[in-house]
Amino acid sequence: MALLVLCTIFALQSEFFLSERNLTTILRNSVDLGIVCAGMTIVIILGGIDVSVGGILAVSAVLIGRAYQVGMPDWVVVPVGLAAGALLGALNGVIISKSRVPPIVATLGTMYVYLAVLFLVIGGVWISGLPSSLSFLVLGDVAGIPSGALLLAAVYVFAWLLLRRTPWGQRVVAIGCDETAARLVGIRVDRTKIQAYALLGLFAGLAAVLYVARMRNVEVNIGTNIALEAIAATILGGANIRGGVGSLVGALMGVLFIKITQNGLVLIGVSSLWETVVIGSLLVVVLVIDAIETRRAG
Amino acid sequence: MKDPLTQRLVFLVGLLVAAALAGAVLSPHFLQASTVGYLLQYVPVLGVLGMAQTLVMLSGGPGIDLSIGANMSLVGLAIAGMFGLGVPLLAACAAGLVIGGLLGAVNAVLVCTLRVPSLMATLATFFAYSGLALALTGGTPIGGLPSWFGTLAQGRFIGIPIHMWTVFVPLGIVLHVMLSQTRLGSHIYAAGNDERAAFLSGVKVWHIRFGLYCLSGVIAALAAIMTLSWFQAARPDAGEGMELLSVTIAVLGGAHIFGGIGRISGTVLAVLIVTTLQVALQLANISQAWQLAAIGVLLIGSVMADNAVGERLRARARRNPA
Repeated sequence: MALLVLCTIFALQSEFFLSERNLTTILRNSVDLGIVCAGMTIVIILGGIDVSVGGILAVSAVLIGRAYQVGMPDWVVVPVGLAAGALLGALNGVIISKSRVPPIVATLGTMYVYLAVLFLVIGGVWISGLPSSLSFLVLGDVAGIPSGALLLAAVYVFAWLLLRRTPWGQRVVAIGCDETAARLVGIRVDRTKIQAYALLGLFAGLAAVLYVARMRNVEVNIGTNIALEAIAATILGGANIRGGVGSLVGALMGVLFIKITQNGLVLIGVSSLWETVVIGSLLVVVLVIDAIETRRAG
Repeated sequence: MKDPLTQRLVFLVGLLVAAALAGAVLSPHFLQASTVGYLLQYVPVLGVLGMAQTLVMLSGGPGIDLSIGANMSLVGLAIAGMFGLGVPLLAACAAGLVIGGLLGAVNAVLVCTLRVPSLMATLATFFAYSGLALALTGGTPIGGLPSWFGTLAQGRFIGIPIHMWTVFVPLGIVLHVMLSQTRLGSHIYAAGNDERAAFLSGVKVWHIRFGLYCLSGVIAALAAIMTLSWFQAARPDAGEGMELLSVTIAVLGGAHIFGGIGRISGTVLAVLIVTTLQVALQLANISQAWQLAAIGVLLIGSVMADNAVGERLRARARRNPA
């Protein structure tokens, strides 16, 4: 609903907004955040949170960059990026479930560590001039549909099936609603948590692959905002930070909302510096409306 | 058996000694008197933010203030901006403290009145405040402050920076006394330990939390004033990264993320540890990346150690109930 209002405003203000090229651009820019957000939604439904995804994305991307530089082919590089992401995600999961450190503290700690790894590997210089052999994954199109959109759709369908049509998904929701109860009915809580965080890591790795494919470089400040943006998008999409409730479709809407705001503001001639203000204020408004509705219902 | 918080303090002092030893091993320049002044230069800003974060966490809920760094940036710009418009600097600083309190009050309204979880509410205001700081200035710093203003954070008294004497130490003492000696302090702990029980026994949980979010904003403004005096300019990204670092310091200092446990003395030790590590690595000319890694490992490790100790104590309590 809000998304429609937003689009109408931008469409009225700038004739370029609704052009096919611009919509494709928005989609392409949404792919990284969108993929990460699918994983983030599952982790938040589980009652967790991961502020280190930016770090995971960065480490995967820098490993991909280095792998390309030593001349490895695509079919080695891509699995390296994905595996790195999944491993780092699983590491988060292990720390959170085995040592009972609250997820926000644990991932805050691992974020520092992952950023350190990034700086050590990258050494303060951009990795650039990477091959373009994979850019068709984001920039190409299949039968007129941008391939980035197809990929994004595939990830969401996969995540949705996993969450809503498998016993694993039911376990995730159960843990998010009441962890103690889930443990008592025999759900292996630790294992499910590790799997969920690993899945988010895997998605972050995939986002890294696509990022490198699209930009063909790895910069020092890669991934800095993606964790907070992903959390914001998930919450905009109706997830409850306390766990148990959340929607993949909502999260995807949240992602588009953020990206359309960023894109639309530039088109109607507002400095891009304002985009964070707008996103933040919208987030506040959504939270307030939510709070008032909850109070009226309760 | 000693209580776990005292154990925690002993552990932190040990860590601090270890950090200082590491510094001495890594760099021949570390064990010099001038290092103390240099090191303490960095402590107050981070330290007061850590204290604010500790207070917000203590009162439970669970409470957290992610907007604290963005608040600091915005207040710094407001003060420098007002000064640029001809407002006397001290009046601008006073107004800055009020603005900081108001920005904190926005969090308080969201979290306490509207019952939005603090993580989400302050994440939203973090976006809004930091975005505003960037957008209002277009990313350029505001300078032109009088040089006498620099005395606060650049001057020394007996070798120790003046803002240590005038801001950090007094604030630390006041907050410590408030928490440990006053009724308000015990009410804060009560609210963090068991919200419902505290409410039923007459503790004004709502008022306490509301006040602490505002106080956190005022303290962020204090940090802004110190930074302003130090750098003689207001940068729109002055507080960037401070929100996570202040959480790190509060947690490392023994504050429990769900409230009810923690002490100002722990926070002070944690700031000293983190700063000592940073300065030691800096003097030894070791890449900044290792500083990040060290902080991350320290953060997770200290919470893990805490949990392990806590579990052993609980197990002991089960074996021989008093």
